[in-house]
Amino acid sequence: MITLLVILVVVLAVAVGSIVVGVRQRHKVNQRLDRLANRVSGAMAPASKSPVAAVKRLEAVMEARETEQRLRGVERRYEAALEAVDWGVVVVDETEEVVFSNLSASWYLEGRHGEAVVGQKIDDLIHAAALGERVSETVTLFGPPRRVLFVSALPIVDQEELCGAIALIHDVTALEQSNAIRRDFVSNISHELRTPIGAVSLLAETLIGEHDPAVIDSLAARLRIESERLAATVQDLLELSQIEHSRDNEFAQVVIQGVVSGAHDRVRIAAAQSDVSIRVEMPKQEITVRGDRRQLTSAVFNLLDNAIKFSNSAGTIRVTVREALAWVEVEVADEGIGIPRQDLDRIFERFYRVDRGRSRTSGGTGLGLSMVHHIVANHAGRVSVTSTEGEGATFTMELPLAPSESTS
Amino acid sequence: MTEELRKTYHEQLEAVRESIIRMAGLVGETIPRGTDSLLAGDLAEAQRIIEADDVIDAMSVELEESCYQLLALQQPMASDLRAITTALWMTAEIERTGDLMANICQATRRAYGSSFGPRIRGLIAQMSEEAARLFRLAIDSYAEANSGLAVALDDIDDRLDELHLDTIEAIFEGSREQTFEMQVAVQLALVCRFYERIGDHAVIMGERVRYMVDGWLPEHSGALRAKARETGMSGVAPGTR
Repeated sequence: MITLLVILVVVLAVAVGSIVVGVRQRHKVNQRLDRLANRVSGAMAPASKSPVAAVKRLEAVMEARETEQRLRGVERRYEAALEAVDWGVVVVDETEEVVFSNLSASWYLEGRHGEAVVGQKIDDLIHAAALGERVSETVTLFGPPRRVLFVSALPIVDQEELCGAIALIHDVTALEQSNAIRRDFVSNISHELRTPIGAVSLLAETLIGEHDPAVIDSLAARLRIESERLAATVQDLLELSQIEHSRDNEFAQVVIQGVVSGAHDRVRIAAAQSDVSIRVEMPKQEITVRGDRRQLTSAVFNLLDNAIKFSNSAGTIRVTVREALAWVEVEVADEGIGIPRQDLDRIFERFYRVDRGRSRTSGGTGLGLSMVHHIVANHAGRVSVTSTEGEGATFTMELPLAPSESTS
Repeated sequence: MTEELRKTYHEQLEAVRESIIRMAGLVGETIPRGTDSLLAGDLAEAQRIIEADDVIDAMSVELEESCYQLLALQQPMASDLRAITTALWMTAEIERTGDLMANICQATRRAYGSSFGPRIRGLIAQMSEEAARLFRLAIDSYAEANSGLAVALDDIDDRLDELHLDTIEAIFEGSREQTFEMQVAVQLALVCRFYERIGDHAVIMGERVRYMVDGWLPEHSGALRAKARETGMSGVAPGTR
């Protein structure tokens, strides 16, 4: 009996104990849930011991967590989108602390040298924008290479309240260059065409009423020179236009040594007249490219013609043909007056001249190098130039080798 | 509280470093820009650069002030102390480089209207490129605390010294052949000297960076030689400095 009573008491004690422990545990769980719910909702919810309320709170927490994850996803997507644009983007809060900057902007913010100058400009503009101003400025970096950057900053306004600023950095070098090319092209073409037209008209005017045969002869000779000059410019313009519109379906296998020899033959007389010697170095083994033989000869001829014009008397021009992996390089190096650094980027533009004063004495149309550029581009190649003023210039034409017969 | 103060202190140190790099960015840009204005005879651009030098001067005064404040208020020790004293030196060297470019722009005005000939133009362009390269490397060595690069600057400067001699020779030649007047020849010789000095300032910056990183003092070599002379010691190679 006593044993039975003892067992009953123990069972009761265990039951009560477990109930107490259970209640305590539930209370603890509830408290944690409350704390979590409070952290999420930001409001103090009254603690409740009811399991239903606990489940509701759990649901609220889950929902809040999902919302948070969704928002984080959206944030990440926006960040990735801002990272993908090739503009630099910097976002600051109302204290001008950077809250986001994409890689391109960080390059300036943490940069050195020219980039540090842009970084300073971004900071200055952001400061103005954070005070509510819309500001922008163009920064030119002298490099080399020379670059032009457009930096703008705007205030961020939320519900009529300033809450930060955004700065955008855009590299407008190519845009500036194309603007300069367009602007100069018009003035250059009018210079190149109007000068001979003006001369022709003036000479013709003088010719009218002139009776001295010696003067007539002299005027007629000059008229011829001016009209030939005009014809050459028009001819080059037409050729350039043809090159631009030519298609590669007319291309054939062309041996580069033949192209160089052909161009060399065309300039022999001019070189001898200018007392310039041309040394050609070519590998014996034939190198072939796919292309238009006439165009390629014209390109090499123009490089040689240019080198002769800007060579000093008794100078040497070296033409080197070499194979480099899947490319063939044709290098034309002179020891002439060279090209100033600031003109190197623009030398292949139509009618671009380093020294306009020389244009009439050198006798060119100002389209030669532009033609070279277009011909090489047509052949999927590239042309580059290096130069030191007073020491000469080196033009390098690179063309892809023709696929070998067995594979084509 | 102490931690908070320390944080601000290190932030201030970092701000000084950043300001030096930004000031150097401005000065570094004036090297090609000033050379372009000289070679193109662009007086308006030369004037803009001369005026912009005042901004650089103001920045250097501000930076110097920040360094003095850090020295006075934080009483830095060891590497921090070396970093601040180096910052003071760097500021002065960078500011001087800016002044030299302003001097070149003044020469643009004085030599206006004269043609230098392609050889001298080419040499000036090369000197400018070399000076700009040295200046950039000196700033890189500071920004990266790279004492190896800082040591190499002295050797890299040899190329600029050679160009300096070549240019002086070409100026004599041009003057003999009367390509330009004596007045222009003097201006050109000065311009050459200015570029060469920019290189020297870059080498000095390198020495200061070595001090910042390793605690090496440039006077060590000179001081050693003086000591050697005093004691009549042999075996110490006479230096060029």
